[in-house]
Amino acid sequence: MKGLLKVFEAIRPSFEQGGKLRVFKPVFEALDEAFFAPSATTVTAPHVRDPLDVKRFMAMVVIALFPCVLAAFYFFGLRFAVMILVSYAAGGAVEVVFAMVRKENINEGFLVTGMLFPLILPPTLPLWMVGLGVAFGVFIGKELFGGTGRNVFNPALVGRCFLALAYPAKMSASWLGPGNGLTGRLFEYAGASAVDSLSSATPLAMAKQGQFIGLREMFLGNISGSAGETSAIAIILGGVFLLLTRVASWRTVASILGSFVLLAGALHYAQPGTFGPVLWHLCAGGLLFGAFFMATDPVTSPITNTGKWFYGIIIGSVTVLIRNFTGYVEGVTFAILLGNIVAPILDEIVVGVRIRRLRSEG
Amino acid sequence: MRFRGGYNILLEGKPERQIAVMPEPDALYLPLRSRRFVFSELYVKDGERVNGGDILAKDPDNYAVPLLAPRAGRVQLKEKEGHIVLEEVAKLQERADMAEEELEHIEREMGAGGIKRYKLLALGAWQFFYDAYTGALPDPLGTPQAIIVSTVSLEPFVARGDAQLHKRLLNFTRGLEQLQSLLEYQPIYLVMPDIESEFANLVRNHIRGYAWVKMLEIPLTYPYDDFAILARKLGLKRSDGSVWAVRAEGVLATDRALTLTKPCTVRIISIGGTGVNSPTHVKVMPGYPMKDIRDKYVSEPAARLINGGILTGELLGAETLGVDAECRGLTILPELQERELFGFARPGWDRSCYAVCFLSSLRGKFRERFTTAMRGEGRPCISCNFCEEVCPAGIMPHLIHKYLYRDLIEEADEARVDLCVECGLCSYVCPSKIDLRKQLIDAKVLIEQEKEEIRQEQLRQEEARKQSVEEKSE
Repeated sequence: MKGLLKVFEAIRPSFEQGGKLRVFKPVFEALDEAFFAPSATTVTAPHVRDPLDVKRFMAMVVIALFPCVLAAFYFFGLRFAVMILVSYAAGGAVEVVFAMVRKENINEGFLVTGMLFPLILPPTLPLWMVGLGVAFGVFIGKELFGGTGRNVFNPALVGRCFLALAYPAKMSASWLGPGNGLTGRLFEYAGASAVDSLSSATPLAMAKQGQFIGLREMFLGNISGSAGETSAIAIILGGVFLLLTRVASWRTVASILGSFVLLAGALHYAQPGTFGPVLWHLCAGGLLFGAFFMATDPVTSPITNTGKWFYGIIIGSVTVLIRNFTGYVEGVTFAILLGNIVAPILDEIVVGVRIRRLRSEG
Repeated sequence: MRFRGGYNILLEGKPERQIAVMPEPDALYLPLRSRRFVFSELYVKDGERVNGGDILAKDPDNYAVPLLAPRAGRVQLKEKEGHIVLEEVAKLQERADMAEEELEHIEREMGAGGIKRYKLLALGAWQFFYDAYTGALPDPLGTPQAIIVSTVSLEPFVARGDAQLHKRLLNFTRGLEQLQSLLEYQPIYLVMPDIESEFANLVRNHIRGYAWVKMLEIPLTYPYDDFAILARKLGLKRSDGSVWAVRAEGVLATDRALTLTKPCTVRIISIGGTGVNSPTHVKVMPGYPMKDIRDKYVSEPAARLINGGILTGELLGAETLGVDAECRGLTILPELQERELFGFARPGWDRSCYAVCFLSSLRGKFRERFTTAMRGEGRPCISCNFCEEVCPAGIMPHLIHKYLYRDLIEEADEARVDLCVECGLCSYVCPSKIDLRKQLIDAKVLIEQEKEEIRQEQLRQEEARKQSVEEKSE
């Protein structure tokens, strides 16, 4: 691998100031830094640094998504691989163009966005919509705010929200019945032609008609739904991993699920006929996926720990309200985006209190 | 007492407790600068012969704290820039006592209490004292509201308390008594890692009946030994007067200066870190040639020498030739040699990480072979909140960073950047590799300057008003 390093060093000058390819400097740097750890050393105290960097931080999320991705392959087939590719290509292109225009580094955040996005889409959605959605999400949801670290909204959710509002028919009709048996749909490429509107209605949509799918199916993921959100067990596996690594905050997850369970439980207790049981609601739709992977995005959730509790409570309860009292069958997307809006205010309040308390110190 | 934040960085090369004695040097290179002091007022001429304990220079800005000659020798001023060189060093009889008439004069001027303080200052013990809040040298003539005595040094790696106190229990307790004699009724807080230990019991037996020493147990997590944090935890308010803080070596120096009336010129420092072949504590005098230490202990060809610990120490350049007057330890760290392939994607069995993001988390505690690598690219803050979690002072480094990014100095002041104890943990844990410690320190300095300017301006206005009033009355 010494050879590769030499190649990088040899072509580096043409990307520097005055070089022919200087426009592509962010691309070169991203490649260079992806292959080799940076050569920078500390200048002042502290003289050592923690091994964790943003690349690793983001890579942990991608690793945690592995069970969900595998489940998506199993239940919905190889087409999902193409969706991931399209998502990375379109999202990456926007990111790269912006990095070149701004003359900044390419940020690692889109590694996560590119992976999250196809997981929250219906599995037979036309590929051009996948590309358009992720490009919109990265452009509007992230780059306009100044890139990773400065965005207010979760870019993947912005993209999904855009698709849901712009192409409601396609977004609600592209579901696919899940694969069964030993190999599932692992060797199938199930496109739009495979859609059978009867067998592929999502649990939440069927619940609106009073039909409740069994809990066992929902726990394993043997149901219709967005590509990555069906299998509760896969999500919990990855999510717990993410909590253990401390990349995601357990406070956010606990408060979302806690408030959701409390509110949904109260509704079910009051009117068991109208409102579904708690465990069923917990496994249905994108709640678990949103709670573990979407809401915990450190950039768009509140920074302060107290803020995270309130943020989670807002997301959890708004999800229950949207699901049960509005025309939408699923409310997680809107609930988290609403949480993103509220997050800076929550932070402001908590920080204000903390600063008032700090004033009396020392 | 509850502590918040804190984190122990497990760096390879922890110094052993025993103390190695370095051979007597031929020449001493005494730097005129140290962390707090600039010895700008010279008291010796070029070529002059001095005896051990003679005053070579003083720092006029810090209560004229002296730089003492650790050994007898001939002074060379011009040979090395920024150093006083002592040649033909010999271990002659140290100046046994101070001149009688000098002491009598002082006693007449300042009384019996004053003479103790004068001795502390003139014999080099005073430089072991710190103001708990600012870390500066306290006023030797003032009376503090309390003294904090810490026997723990937690930063990797500075000389530890157990190495300092080894076999010197008697001197330590005698030093405590001497310290008490400087006070009227104010308490001394003795900070220990374990107040039930054998050593603590011995100390307790020795000082039995002295109600003025209060023992205090702290967990061994960096940086709970920081004086500002201890003072805050003890509820000592800054407005109630100064708090003196001193470590074990300072108590021993106090004992030496006041009981024996001998100059304190020998220090125990640690030599530790990844680049050292046999990490240990050594007994050296200020000015000990850095080259000798380097030759004996540094195993890495490309190593960084740090004066102090890994988190707050200062880079020792090649221009510093000797151990300075305030040195507490030398940390040696290998420089980053080569760029690792797929550094971020490795399982990381040998990496110790604050978050649990590497395989090594399954491994239990171990000491990592750190280098000077930054280990990541600088990125915008991703709001991971690690810096706030780890901050022992209870402030929000990420918030202050964002304020400073937008030039909101006033808000940074409101967010109490002044409570920062400069421990360096926020910079250490930051995954975006933001140099938070430096930013916070810069902001503190800037705010202090601005406040000072406002104060000066108010004084000037006051003057002007007074003058105009006087003119009118005339």
